[in-house]
Amino acid sequence: MKQFILRRVAQLVLVVFSVTFLTFASLNLVGDPLFNIVGVLSGIPDEQCEAVARGEIEDTQSSGLNVGDCALIAQAKEQNNLDKNVAERYGIWLSDMASGDFGTSFVNGDEISDIVKERLPVTIRLIVLAQIVALGIAIPWGVASAYRANRGFDKASTVGSFGLLSIPNFALGVILLYFFTLRWQIFPSRYENAGWWSELKALTLPAFTLGLGLAATYQRLLRTDLITTLQDDFIHMARAKGMSDRHIMYRHALRPSMFSVITVFGVNTGALIGGALVVEQIFSIPGVGTELVEAVLRNDPPVVISLISVVAIGFVLINFFVDLMYGYLDPRVRTS
Amino acid sequence: MAEASAANTQLLVRDLTVRFPTTRGTVQAVNGVTFDLARGASLGIVGESGSGKSVTAKTLMNLLPRTAEVAGDVIFEGEDVRRLASEGREHFWGVKMTMVFQDPMTSLNPVKKCGEQIAETLRYHLKRDRKTALAEAEDLLAQVGIPEPGKRVDQYPHELSGGLRQRVVIAMALACEPSLLIADEPTTAVDVTVQKHLLDLLDKLREDRGMSMILITHDLGVARGRCDEIAVMYAGRLVERSAPETLFSDSRHPYTDALLRSIPRIDQPSHTRLEPIPGRPPELINPPEQCAYAPRCRFARSDCLESIPDISGVAGMHEFACFHPANTDRGREALAANLAQGCTVAGLEISGAGASS
Repeated sequence: MKQFILRRVAQLVLVVFSVTFLTFASLNLVGDPLFNIVGVLSGIPDEQCEAVARGEIEDTQSSGLNVGDCALIAQAKEQNNLDKNVAERYGIWLSDMASGDFGTSFVNGDEISDIVKERLPVTIRLIVLAQIVALGIAIPWGVASAYRANRGFDKASTVGSFGLLSIPNFALGVILLYFFTLRWQIFPSRYENAGWWSELKALTLPAFTLGLGLAATYQRLLRTDLITTLQDDFIHMARAKGMSDRHIMYRHALRPSMFSVITVFGVNTGALIGGALVVEQIFSIPGVGTELVEAVLRNDPPVVISLISVVAIGFVLINFFVDLMYGYLDPRVRTS
Repeated sequence: MAEASAANTQLLVRDLTVRFPTTRGTVQAVNGVTFDLARGASLGIVGESGSGKSVTAKTLMNLLPRTAEVAGDVIFEGEDVRRLASEGREHFWGVKMTMVFQDPMTSLNPVKKCGEQIAETLRYHLKRDRKTALAEAEDLLAQVGIPEPGKRVDQYPHELSGGLRQRVVIAMALACEPSLLIADEPTTAVDVTVQKHLLDLLDKLREDRGMSMILITHDLGVARGRCDEIAVMYAGRLVERSAPETLFSDSRHPYTDALLRSIPRIDQPSHTRLEPIPGRPPELINPPEQCAYAPRCRFARSDCLESIPDISGVAGMHEFACFHPANTDRGREALAANLAQGCTVAGLEISGAGASS
């Protein structure tokens, strides 16, 4: 067990390193971070500034009258370590990150740690709620389908779940908004957070928008696994012990049939941290996904890379817990 | 005598018929099986794969798939078992009637501790609280001869050997003190050295508890000496039923006779050639109206291909379903006639070798 956790932690570190380095490198290769800080001044060739420094010319030509352009550039470069190469900068960023300093936005100077603190909890609450909705629907639904496989209810479920799977998020979100907000006015149309109750209400529709599709996925997987499990001898044994069908389905068959669901659960949760974008947009939720896209659009590398790191760490952590879950679901995994 | 035995009868099976509709036709898995079981007695049901012995057991335990079509009567201690099944009666199976399955490697839930699985039955049926049930489970494990029961209750099935697992299964089946235990090939999947221990254990538990048992096996040797009565099944029918001694010394049905010849015996000189049974078991989809064993039978005459022999004889003593029984004059005549022709009426070529009966 100890070894298992150590190995996982090593993997976690490796994944975070590679993801952040790739992001860091690509953001520095595409576009010029200096441009985002000093604007057009970033176009001044280095040789001209060197010439100014040596006193050969009085000022750069592009900016005309502004004395001190080069000083501005030099200051920006120094503050943001832009005078160093990419690898060095990555190292500096990493050590800052490790000490909790995420840096500041190039564009508006906000503390990135504040952005994360503000955005991440909202996203996590949305994901948790969406997964509760998904599992809460999928488990009884899958059990009911597998219990009488290929009979009326199961066949109707197949149609229903493929229906849900094929509705894109944005369509489902808009449909839910139309009925529950516009027509019946049960839920608010925008995210608001005045206490947990108002936030819960605000997150209900987005959670269903995300959760219904997931529920359909989980139901398909659970149904298939359950049908296989129900062929096993220990199910016959449980029936011979006189257990009711309900008891057998939930107490004997369900747990060994959760592997596929748990696997996909982990992947989906990771993907939702930064990927619930469409739903966050429709319901104006200030989550990580929205901020990430905005940061990309305004060419704000420090924010982008910090958020991507958060997503990557979340992804790895969740899948680490999923691996622990395998051990809980099947004790045979623990020993091997 | 029939009156006296009726009062003591625990299980009464009358004309039990089980059919499975499939896309290729209806499988006639069990055909008109009839037998009684006295309280505290043990019955061995012997037959090869597909003879309907396991289906019979599953019918008693209400374990058949929903598609199965069942007819006939199953009366257990005065209660109509098939009606109980349709009423969804709780606390009957697992309490009064339980079953042990063939493969201990797969019949335990892999994700539950052994103690929990035994305790589950006690909690479910007898409403014991968790602590009491676990203590009783430990006690049961000791009763089935598992060393260190206190340690085993906290182990998962995969941590135990096959023999130990089967003991856990037996402990589980015995938890609610059933009055009838059905053991479906309980020793087929375990080591030969473990087989005897398990069978002895079942015998001892049965005697200690005054429990009746149906022992299903494909091995006549296993049933011998452990059962008060042996019933031989072939193609979904009972073909012979008697006390073990009678069956082994004076078998009537040619199938039983052939089975006995196909197993090695300790009193035979070494290197004695065993006689396999020619041919294959019959297809159970739309079988012809004839004795199912006729195509493989050395005794088969034309009447065997015309109708199905009913099981008859002295009820409770020795019954068989054959027109030309082995070890009788009719049988000897039929065999002699077939030997003279060199083949039976069904076209099976036979020769004099091993035709001592």
